[in-house]
Parts: sequence; C-alpha cells; structure tokens
Amino acid sequence: MNLAYFRRGLVLLLLIFGIALPGWAGEPTDEIKQTTDKILSILTNPSLKGSSKTAEREKLIRQAIDERFDWEEMSRRSLARYWDQRTDGEKKEFVRLYSDLLERTYMDKVEGYSGEKVTYEGESIDNGYAVVKVKIVTKKNTDIRVHYRLKRVENKWLVYDVSIEGVSLVNNYRIQFNNIILKSSYENLVKRLRDRVELK
Amino acid sequence: MESGEVAMKKFDLELAVGLFIIAGIVCLGYLSIKLGKLEIVGERGYEIYGVFSNIGGLKVGSSVEIAGVSVGRVKSITLNNYQAHVVLNFPKGLKIQEDAIASVKTKGLVGEKYIEISPGGSENNIQPGARIRETQSAVDLEELISKFVFGKI
Repeated sequence: MNLAYFRRGLVLLLLIFGIALPGWAGEPTDEIKQTTDKILSILTNPSLKGSSKTAEREKLIRQAIDERFDWEEMSRRSLARYWDQRTDGEKKEFVRLYSDLLERTYMDKVEGYSGEKVTYEGESIDNGYAVVKVKIVTKKNTDIRVHYRLKRVENKWLVYDVSIEGVSLVNNYRIQFNNIILKSSYENLVKRLRDRVELK
Repeated sequence: MESGEVAMKKFDLELAVGLFIIAGIVCLGYLSIKLGKLEIVGERGYEIYGVFSNIGGLKVGSSVEIAGVSVGRVKSITLNNYQAHVVLNFPKGLKIQEDAIASVKTKGLVGEKYIEISPGGSENNIQPGARIRETQSAVDLEELISKFVFGKI
C-alpha cells in the first residue's frame, strides 16, 4: 500500500520536474536558441577548426543565419521609402547585396567567439511580433544587451532587426542608405554595396 | 470750461488708457502663447504612442522630429509596467508607417531630449491611437563608454 503511494508520488514529482526543468521560454526564444546553439556548435566543432576550413565554416554559419533572418523584411525596412519604387529585379539584387554586406561586416565578430556566455533574459510577444532579450557576457565581464526583433512568418519566427545596447541595426542602415540616396542615387548606393561586398 | 467738459475729457483719457492697457495685455498674451507654444485652438491632429524602456529625461511638450523638422509634440508620459508610455501628437495629414522607428535622441551631446522618427517602408500606416512598435530608448553614452573602456566589477 505504502509503496504504491510512494511510487505514484515519485512519478508525479518526476512529471513536474520534467515539465519545469526546460524553463518557461516561449517559441521565439526557443527559435533564437536553436540558431545560436547551431552556430556555437559550428564554431566549437574540432573538425571545422583552422584557416583551411574557414570557407566551409562560414558557409555553414551563413546557412544557419539564413534560416533565422528575414533578409527581405530587413531590406524593406532599411531602404524604407525607397523600397516600393524598386522593380522586382532590383529588390532581389538589393536583398542579396545587403545580406552579403552584413555577412561581410559581422562574420569576423561571430568567428571571434571565444567562450562568451549567452543568457536569455526574457521575451515579449504582441500580435505576431516578438522581442527576445539576450545578454552576452564578455571576457572583460561586461554585459552586452542584444534584442532580437522577430516576426511570425508562416510557422516560424524570423528576425527582422537586431539592437545591440539599444542601437538598432535597421535604423543604422536606414539612415545611411537614405543619406546616400539623397546625396547621389539608388544606383550609386548599389554600386557602393557591390564594391564593399566584392572586395576580396 | 464747465465741470461736465472736464469730466468728459477725463473720461476720454481714462478710456484711452484703459483701451491701451487692454491692447497691451492682448499683445502680451499673444506673445506668451506664441513663445510658449501653447495650443489654445485645441489639439487638432492625431495621437499614437510608443513604449520605451528609458526616455532619459524626455518631457511633455518635447518636440518630435522627422528629418530634423519639428512635426509634433510629446503629449503625455506615464509609467506603465515600469516602462515609459509616451503619447505623441501629430498633424492630421502626416502619415507614420508601421515600421517607422521612434528614437529618443539628445540635442547635441548633453542637451534636451527629443524624439526622432525615422520613416519606414511599409505600405501600412499607424492608425490613430495605435502603437509605434519600433522604439529605441535613450542611449546612455557614459554607461556605454565605461562598459567598453573599463569593464565591470
């Protein structure tokens, strides 16, 4: 009799722990975690270490990011008023150039990862949009706040903006693109992007 | 002269002085309204709001700018769930896109705070009473500098 109760109690306890342990993170946080973990595993994979493996490593990292970032939405938001006027061909070209620019600009930082701790500080969801708050603790023991802004697209959460210490990436490029287009032209902006990206 | 005439002259003088003073007060009132930027004619236009984690000293009446041009005012600021709920007032014809970004900025490096709206590219506009989703809080420059120069204990 006692044993039966004990066993039932144990099962119940295990069930509670089983549900509580993974933590109460929502979908957007989970999806960011998935991508972050994927990238970290690429970076720490011993068979991908070394400069001979750089191209392969970076290709895999880019793939992981492509799954999580909505490049078209980011391009639309960064070109802002100038997006609508573009032809479909121009839009496609811009999305490609912009994502390559970001890869070229930030890949070094990603590759420079050396064991920094990543913690998930919470999320908020509002009608198909979400913000996931992440904290990165550097070797100098400073906290860097990174906020991912996501949008629900079909059955996935995709990133459309990243803000680091309160500074938005989309806003940063939006202002620069606007200035370049006003001073010269959209064609000149594309040329500048092309030059930056194709610089070997 | 008769006393009646004298009284009449005195009345004229007092009337003139009175009218002059009234004119002066009206001018003063007009000047203070213009300078103080009070909207006596009532709040025409529409309101939208944004939620910020830190507005760094933004005040009611602070200006809202697009491309550096003052186009609106901060109507009210309240604390809501430990965040700043800021209501902005815009003229009726001014459309703010759904993906516009509202940032708290500073005049110069240490001047007064204001809100800068960077226009977005969405075809949809933010409806009156609705929320600006994309907000950037005030960047605390000192905090940022110290973080990356000195680290943290």
